[in-house]
Amino acid sequence: MRSFTSQQKQLLLLLSPATLFLGIFFLGPLLIMAVYSFLEPGLYGGVEWNFYHWNYGRVLGWADGFYEEFDIVYLQILLRSAGLALVTVLVTLAFCYPVAFWISRMQSRWKSFCIFLIALPFFSSMIIRLYAWILILRDSGFANQILMSLGIISEPLDLMYSGTAVIIGMVYIFIPFMFLPVYSSVENLDPKLIKASQDLGATPFTTFRRVIFPMTLPGVVSGCILVFIPALGNFVVPAMLGGAKVVMIGNLVEQQFLAARNWPFGATLSMVMIVFMLLVVSVYLIRAMKNPQHS
Amino acid sequence: MKAVDSAAAGSKWIKKTLAMACLGASCAGAAMATQAAGVLNLYNWGDYINPEVLERFTAETGVKVNLDTYSSNEEMLAKLQVGATGYDIVFPSVHMQDIMATLDLLEKTNINQSAGFENIDTAHLIAESDPKGEYCLPYGWGTVGIVYNKKAVPELNSWKEFFALPGQGKKIVMLDDMREDIGLALLLDGKSVNSVDPKELKAAQKFLLEQKPNVSAFTYDSIPMVQSGDIAAAQWYVGAMMYVMEDPDTLAYVIPEEGATMYQENMCVLKSAPNKANAKLFLEFFMKPEISAMNTVQQTNGSMNKAAIELLPAEIRDNPSINPSAETKEKLQIFRELGKGTKLYDRIWTKFRTAS
Repeated sequence: MRSFTSQQKQLLLLLSPATLFLGIFFLGPLLIMAVYSFLEPGLYGGVEWNFYHWNYGRVLGWADGFYEEFDIVYLQILLRSAGLALVTVLVTLAFCYPVAFWISRMQSRWKSFCIFLIALPFFSSMIIRLYAWILILRDSGFANQILMSLGIISEPLDLMYSGTAVIIGMVYIFIPFMFLPVYSSVENLDPKLIKASQDLGATPFTTFRRVIFPMTLPGVVSGCILVFIPALGNFVVPAMLGGAKVVMIGNLVEQQFLAARNWPFGATLSMVMIVFMLLVVSVYLIRAMKNPQHS
Repeated sequence: MKAVDSAAAGSKWIKKTLAMACLGASCAGAAMATQAAGVLNLYNWGDYINPEVLERFTAETGVKVNLDTYSSNEEMLAKLQVGATGYDIVFPSVHMQDIMATLDLLEKTNINQSAGFENIDTAHLIAESDPKGEYCLPYGWGTVGIVYNKKAVPELNSWKEFFALPGQGKKIVMLDDMREDIGLALLLDGKSVNSVDPKELKAAQKFLLEQKPNVSAFTYDSIPMVQSGDIAAAQWYVGAMMYVMEDPDTLAYVIPEEGATMYQENMCVLKSAPNKANAKLFLEFFMKPEISAMNTVQQTNGSMNKAAIELLPAEIRDNPSINPSAETKEKLQIFRELGKGTKLYDRIWTKFRTAS
């Protein structure tokens, strides 16, 4: 048996409070959810301690034979949520990537100021910021007033309670999560390598494709994961700005625990979502392990 | 010198200890005093009681009132089921009271034997588990009708007119609520809002799916949008009268002529209540006509206290939306617990919400 070096012992000591905390308050509840997902729902909420195999089948569409017909409605909801999360990732990336380069080339005091601005929304509640968006997007809101006073439109646009409003809200909420990791990898880019690529005769496009992009990829991937995972479970934005006309997986879980009083099925949906997210993250981890220099 | 010194120090130490002990005793005394007057912990819906009522109760009895809030019956039940304690009084809807009675969560208070109960309208003792009012005190009731912007829609009297508005380029919103929306569809079809008949529910689902493209949103945050005119009309609670009275030129609330769903909440004492005596004291306090009326005026909802109704200002007492005629009351339906039928509703609701 290998004994620990003093450095390792120190590390172990430093890490143990966090590990203990997460073990109790993160893994514990997760374990409860995992167990509940195999139990029978109680009539008035809660669980009956009997093994119940319908929960996972129900996600895939199988009916319980009493109240339901075969229907893949839950898969549709999961896919729709994933679709919305993906769009959010793409739009935030398209916005943050060029802005990160722009800010990284600023003078250092402007740089810190811009990063402060990006982090500023964290200082107020998300719900309050979304209410502000309602004031902007509604028919008599600021956006329509400005467009109409500029003479661009004569009738107010139907912005509120639309798919566009949902995308605007999601992108707005998740931009900081994308920006910060992307920015940190752009900031660490060695300008000498770009110079070298240019000196060796690469076109700007080739330099971007072969040098700049691969070197910023870890930041991009972290940003994508950081946005994708919370975006997948977000239902506040679709409810407030989209008028709750479509169900997201997050709503569905809430509905199962409250209105439907079916805790085991809510737990099952959560477990399915966690597995889905783990798959996404493990793709990244496997990549990182194969190319250690990129992580 | 040294001996004197140490003696002095000793006596100082004794004094200090005594002082500490006294302090401790007085602290304990104070704690006992507050316990005698005590506290009362309410667990109620958000904004569902006039804060003045609580202040008056504290002023009269010395009992300190703590108020915690929930936003749905299920949220309250879930919290109690996982073992939350410390609450004395909860305000369940009637069907939730029946569930809580089944789960043996409610304390028998014999409130129907207290002075003032003779004022309570017995037509509102509608919980199946408590037909005589031995457990809970009827608290408030109301309807779910339509609140509309008078500048967009001069007059609105029926659900039919409500659902016709989108055809005239006017926007409507409905509540984001499974029971209310499916219930409304059943009611308009002439069925019970508690139907668990798959055929009737399929028809309700079909009706909702037909309306879905015309409904701008499913939300509870409708009032500001109706007030600003961005939304012409919304399915909403009688509590909208609070806003109607502030802005009567713009807003109006109506119980549609086809009828409406109604709700009723009762005040119940929990079996796990730590302050049962204070809880009963509060129930009795709330039966006083002037206190009950004070709450109704602020809440603009329905009252079940006949003596309190007498005390209400004419604008509330004679308002057909808040205090409807017996004929209108006939057309109101209240939700009951569905048991296993909840699963059917859940599926229909999910399917409806997923359709695009």
